Parts: sequence; C-alpha cells; structure tokens
Amino acid sequence: MSNRSDVLKLAGDELRCCIQCGSCSASCSTADLMDKSIRELVRLVLNDRCEEALDSRSIWLCTSCLLCTVRCPRGIRPKSLVAALRHIHEAEGRRNADSSLEDLFMGQVKDTGRVSEFYLSALYALHNPKATVQIMTMGLELIPKGKIDGEKSRILGIEELSRIFEGLEES
Amino acid sequence: MSTGVYICHCGLNIASVLDIEELVRFAEGLPNVAVARELQFSCSDVGQETIKEDIKEGKVDRVVVAACSPRLHEPTFRCVLQDAGLNPYLLEMANIREQCSWVHMEEPALATEKAKDLIRMAVAKAELLSPLEGELMPVSRNVLVIGGGVAGISAALELANAGLHVFLVERRPTIGGYMALLTDVFPTNDCSICVLAPKMTEVYNHPLITLYTYSEILNIDGSVGNFTVSGVRRARFVDAAKCKGCINDCAGACPVEVPNEYDFGIGKRKAIYMAIPQAVPLVACIDPQACIGCGLCEEACPADAVDYEQREMAFKFDVGAIIVATGWQPFDASRKEEYGFGRYRDVISSLQVERMLNAAGPTGGEIVRPSTGEIARSVSFLQCVGSRDATVGNLYCSRICCMASLKNAQLIKEKYPEMAISIHYIDMRAGGEGYEEFYQRAQRLGIEFIRGRVAEIEETDGEIYLHYEDTLLGEYRRRKCDMAVLSIGLEPDSGAEVVGNLLGLARRTDRFFEIAHPKMRPVEAHIDGVFIAGCASGPKEIQVSIAQGGAAASKALGLLMKGEISLDPTVAYVDRDACVGCKLCEGICPGKAISVNGTAFVDEAACKGCGTCAAACPTDAIHMRLFSDEQILAQVRAATAVKGEYPFIVAFLCNWCSYAGADLAGTSRIQYPTNARIIRVMCAGRVDPSFVMEALRLGADGVLIAGCRLGECHYVVGNDQALQRVKVLKGVLEKIGLSPGRVKIIWCAASEGEIFARELEAFVEELKELGPTGTEIPQARGG
Repeated sequence: MSNRSDVLKLAGDELRCCIQCGSCSASCSTADLMDKSIRELVRLVLNDRCEEALDSRSIWLCTSCLLCTVRCPRGIRPKSLVAALRHIHEAEGRRNADSSLEDLFMGQVKDTGRVSEFYLSALYALHNPKATVQIMTMGLELIPKGKIDGEKSRILGIEELSRIFEGLEES
Repeated sequence: MSTGVYICHCGLNIASVLDIEELVRFAEGLPNVAVARELQFSCSDVGQETIKEDIKEGKVDRVVVAACSPRLHEPTFRCVLQDAGLNPYLLEMANIREQCSWVHMEEPALATEKAKDLIRMAVAKAELLSPLEGELMPVSRNVLVIGGGVAGISAALELANAGLHVFLVERRPTIGGYMALLTDVFPTNDCSICVLAPKMTEVYNHPLITLYTYSEILNIDGSVGNFTVSGVRRARFVDAAKCKGCINDCAGACPVEVPNEYDFGIGKRKAIYMAIPQAVPLVACIDPQACIGCGLCEEACPADAVDYEQREMAFKFDVGAIIVATGWQPFDASRKEEYGFGRYRDVISSLQVERMLNAAGPTGGEIVRPSTGEIARSVSFLQCVGSRDATVGNLYCSRICCMASLKNAQLIKEKYPEMAISIHYIDMRAGGEGYEEFYQRAQRLGIEFIRGRVAEIEETDGEIYLHYEDTLLGEYRRRKCDMAVLSIGLEPDSGAEVVGNLLGLARRTDRFFEIAHPKMRPVEAHIDGVFIAGCASGPKEIQVSIAQGGAAASKALGLLMKGEISLDPTVAYVDRDACVGCKLCEGICPGKAISVNGTAFVDEAACKGCGTCAAACPTDAIHMRLFSDEQILAQVRAATAVKGEYPFIVAFLCNWCSYAGADLAGTSRIQYPTNARIIRVMCAGRVDPSFVMEALRLGADGVLIAGCRLGECHYVVGNDQALQRVKVLKGVLEKIGLSPGRVKIIWCAASEGEIFARELEAFVEELKELGPTGTEIPQARGG
C-alpha cells in the first residue's frame, strides 16, 4: 500500500507547494470525463489519501498533453503525479477497466510499433464487455468512411523499437 | 476702494467661446471698478506685470482675475499681489474657463451672460475682502511619543538623532511592546529580541530622549506647536537609581506566584518581577496587587533598592508635536466560545505559542501539550480567530496572522520534523517582500494546508477534535490533534482610548485611529501636529510599523525644525459679545479647535477654516476671516441680480471635492447646462441655511449644495452636517409653502466631473417641473 511519501518520491516533492488554484484542471482537455479533477488528485495525495487517488479513473484519462504542467504557477508537474499514480497502480498489480486499455495500447505498440484502432477496440471490448455497445456505435460510423481497416501491419525496424523498450525497462 | 478686473483670454481657451470685449465693457460698468483689462495669458509674465503695474501705480487695491479655476492659479496671483506690495488675500478669481468656456462651448451667448454674473459676484466679494496676515508662531521643538513599542521606538530614535528632544511615554514597566515578547520574526526568522534590544538600549542611553515607563498620560492641552502634556509615573516600589537588575535575589525570595501576563498566562512570575530579561529600563517592579508585604525581597536585595514607600510621580512638559504609537491588543479568544479557549487546556493562542517557542519562555522553547506536559505530536493552527468575523465585530483582516502562523509552523517543524502540523485557513495572505516565498518554504517543509475555517473544537475524553469542511474537496472532516493554536487577531489597544479622547482623534468603524487620508496621508491625524504610527491605525507588520515610526518622525521634524510655524489666516474667530456659550460649535468642530469657557474661543493654530461652526452658530457669533457670511451673501446677491436664465440655480461647492469635480468637468470638456452660478466654500458644512434662504428670497429657482462623498469629507463630518441642515431646511421650505425640491444636496468627488454635470442637468429638469420659484405658493398664483 503506497502512501504520500511514495507518491511524492515519484511525482516530485514540489507537489507540496500546490495552492489549489485549479489552473491544471481548467487546462485539462479530458477534465469533463474525469471523476476527480487533477487538482483534487493533488489534494488527495497531500492529504495522504492515495488509495482514493489510485482508484480514480482520471489517471487513465490523461492524454499527457502537459498543459497542466506548463501552466502551473507553482512549477509543479501535475502530469508527473498522474504518471506516478499509474506507475504505482501497475506496480501494485491493480487492474481496472481503464488501466486495461493502457495495457492493451502499450502491448500493441510494443508488438507492432503502431496502434490499430480495430484490434485495439476489439481487444478492449473483450476485456470490458460493458463498453462494447459504445465502441460498436462509433466503429460502425467510422468503417464506411475508411477510417478503420482490419489490417495489422508492423513498422519497419521493429527491432530498434524493442531495444528502446528494453532500455526503458532497464532504466 | 478701487477694484481691478483682469479678464483672461487663455489663448483661445476662453476667448473662442466668450465675448471678451463685451465682458470688459461690462466689468468697467460695475461699481468700484477702476480698471478692467483683457489679458492674453494672465498667468504669463506679461500678464502678471500688467497687474503689478496697476497695483504699484496705485490704480487698484483689490484684484479680480477672471480666468481659470482658483484651484489652479490662486497661489500664482496671490504672489503677484504680494510682489506688488498688496496683501495677497485681496484677490478674488472668477472661474470663467472651467465653469464657462469649457463646459458651455455650444452656448456662447448664455456662457457670456454667465461669465458676467461670475465677474459681478467676484467684484462684489472683492469689495468685502480684508487684508489677512498669517502669523508666525514660535513652537516647541520637543516631541511626545506615546507608546514604546517598535513604532514608537523608531519614531523616538529618528527624532532624537535629528536633534529634537523626545519624551517617550510607555504604560508598561519596559519598552519594547509586543515585539519584545515574540520569538523569531518573519520573513527572515531572526530572533525578535536580538534585533530589537539594541534599539531599546539606544533609547535608554540617548541624551535627547526622556523615557517615562510605567507611566500614564492624564492630560493634553494646547494645539499644534504648543501642547502641554501632563501625566504620572506609577510607583515601582523599587528605586530605579539603585536597582542593578539582578532580579534573581529579590524574585527568588518572593513567595508569591501569579500568572505572568508577559507569557500570556502560560507561565508564572513573582510579585516582584522584571517583565522580560532584556527590560529597558532594567529595573524590577513590584506588583502591588500581588505583593503581600512580607519584606523578603527588601531583605534579599543587595543594593537596598526596594522601597515600599515609593509614591507615583507627576510630570509635565511642553511639546510641539505628538506621535501616537499606542499599538494593539490581542483579541480575547474566549469570546469565540465554539473554540473552547480557556475551557480546553490544549487550545492555546498564537501569542502563547510564541512564548512557548521562545527559548527564554516558560517551556524553554518546547512545544508542550498543556494537558499532559508532554511534547505535542500534532498541532493545528486555526486562522482568522477574531478577524474577518462579523460575530465579534471585527470585519477586518489582521494582516499578520497568516505570516505569523507560517513562521510558527516552520519553527515547530524544524524543531520536531515528525510532528504533524496543519494550518486551517480561509485565504492564505502572504503579500510582502519575501512572503510568498516564505509560504512556499512552509509548504516544502511538509506543513499541511487545509482550506476551510474550523467551525468548532470538540473535546472528548481529553482529546481535542477539529470540525471543518475541506472546502477544496467539499468534504466534512473531524480531525484529532494534540494542540490547537488560535491565530488571534489584532484589536486597537483599549488603553489608547484615553489618549484618543484627550487629542480628539477620530476612529474608524474598526475602532482603530483614523488617519487624515486613507491613502495619501498615512501617518497624519486629523488634528494638526498629531501623527499616528504603527498598529494604532490598524494591524501592521513590524517592518511597516518601523517605516511608519520613521515617517511620523519626519513629519514632526518638518513641522518643528524651523522653530516656528506660519498659521493660515483663513480661520474662524468669535464675537464674544454675541456668543451665548451654547457649546454647539465645540461639539461639531472636527479639529477640536474650539473650547467654550463662558464664551467660545477658537485656537487659530488648530482651526482649519472649514466654517462649519460659523454655519451652525445660532447667534451668528462665529465669523470666518475669509469666506465670511458677508462675502458669501454678497456673492448670492450679485448672482441673483439679473437672473438671465430659467431655471436659475445658485450652487455652493466645497473646495476639495465638488469644486474640483466641477473643474474636472471643465478640463474634460463635459458639457452641462448654463443655469448654475457657483460659489466656492471650503466645506459643504459651511453653507449656512441663511445663504440658501437668501438665494431663494432673491428669486433663485433652486439651490444646489455639493460636498465630498459621505465618509470622505476633508473635515471628517462637514458633509454629514450639511446633510442634516439640508434635511431641516427642506422641512422649513415645506412649512412656508415652497417645494423642498428647490434645495438639493449632492456628493461629488474630485474625480467625478461627469457626476457633477449629470446631477446639475437632472436638477435643472426637476426645477423645470416645479416651475419658477414661488409658483407653488397659492397666493403667488393669485389663488
């Protein structure tokens, strides 16, 4: 079970300097999909309520656009907090619907060097049957427009990509 | 008597709208006018020389300049008169630029007629002007500083170093004030007493500072330049000349222990004590309430200094200026019953924690939980206790508590890194050099910040719990802590009330002393020669108090350095034969310049010439040397001599705000109707109801009175008094059958030219509705 100091070690101690101004949440492109805003995640962690932060789906909805981080007036990196929470989530072996998409996404990138919308959606639907209807509705619209193809191709030089991943895992 | 009238073209500023030749011809025809000339630029050297020559040649002995606003060039032309050998007060100006050519650009004919009226009014007033001399008054070059806190100490040292003699009067047995009791101070975390003690010693050793500690001021008479101060030095029952300050011998022998007020009740002291180890003067003091007279201290004292027979000693001295640095007192936290201060032992005040943190304090610098005597494991600071709180009558922010709690929290965290520390705040206020960085430092140290005011403290089984909403998460919490520190606010010192009453200082609604202008005159009182420094005028940090002490000292220095001051001759005086001694004037004088002893007496050094006393006097026994009743009535009569317009308005504008506002309408070229003839008075409170009645009697359709916005009067409450008089006057008008709507009072700041123009426009419309004056009286209509 992780606590405040574990998170701060990963996210940076300057997180303590948060003044809860809300610039991060208001800058976030996926904020309206989140159950807890980025500002609240900081608050929860500083209150040593990391469990609640880890349970939030918000950490999986971050698109890593980094607007929160460039705009923070205190020089905190809220994105690092999200990354830290994801890391702990994974390290502690937790799983939920939102984190599984991340796994599948990264798995495909490792395998093929790119993401196929079709396979990703299909695999996610298998992992998370509740989402099937939503995925199908959108997918059916996209197919006639040629936005989704069923081809699963590999990039050239996949070996180099693998070496990058290996390097990352070592570091 | 021969008046010279000089009509200025101001280039084309006036001449492009008004018919100057017509005005010159008109002026020539006025009674007593010997010379009427037009000048291209009256303020230029050529213009000034022309006026000077006429005076020197003996052609004129009164001067009327019809040009711009007197607020701009009255001083210039007064100098012209003086240079030419004429008394400078024999000048009157007709404001035909700001009040005519610039505001009636589309109405040249009506504007020229209005200018004629303004010139006629100025000539009529000029006839009644008399030469005035501003007397030079010798002043005492001593200064009284009331209060020996850091503000008073700073003021005293500045003055004494500049060569003035200072009397520093302090109520407590030592100087140093609250600063001497604090531990470290923000934002540098220096040891408070270490930086203050050298200053305290310097005060004690300074040859030009006479120090009265343990003393009270009982009376202050006189006014600027010559105050007489008297008071008493209370008996310490210790001979100051003999006491060596060793304290341990006498206090060690003393069997009586009482709570130590200098530790805010958490420590104990003996009946014979020294307030702080660094006390100045370093002399013990016997608390007569606690002493049982056992005589043990007398026996123990190696210097034979204890003297049970000592009596209080009266003192009296003269000073030219007074600096009020009476400081503050802590909010009584037990008034916030929901926090249980005084009932729950583990709820303490921020000043108590200061003493705990002080190495020389009652716990030797340890944060000890009062209920157990052990080191606390968690401490919570509760902000805004007695500040920003209408329930205790303190709407203001006490300004220092956020920083003080940040500082105390840091000090505790540094000493006990494992202790859980939280600060519960409404808004965290850290405005000041290095303050925000200081806040950030506290955050980095791992102090927890919780936004949300603590609603109550609960004690269950000897543990205390805070109840609050974490407003950032929108959740209600109950949190246990070992100790709660209430960040108590600053209130004005209740002991300062005596001084305030003796000096007649005004108080704001927050009960602190009011300064002469909330922005532009930060250390001046409304009373001449009295200055205010430090927390006496509101909560302040140490560095601001020091700056204010210095500022007040330099103000006093500027006033007294020359050894004499020139008095403004435009003051009130009393016709003792007419005065009935009703004391009405004494009560309303904002400068406390009037005293009534049988008949009224005006202290000309203290009078600021607002004239509200002259307007109030029921027997017309008070006269003004300038803006006299006769002069103003002459202006009213001259204004209404022709009444070339309908509706015709006579307007009285106060010099400081509304006249300046009308000038601004001019400089901004805001156009408004030509119907009003403006008479300048120093204060709206100067307007005697008889002026209004005379204007209406002579056929004015309406009378406008304009003053500073309420609460912003340059004479504090002159405009309030004007408002009262207008209310009464409206009743009188109604009784005699005239519409009360013929008198209107408005508020207009110097920045509100637009408001002045629009109010005047509205009044013209209202008067059109009412019809010409008198038509509302049935007889006048023949009915």
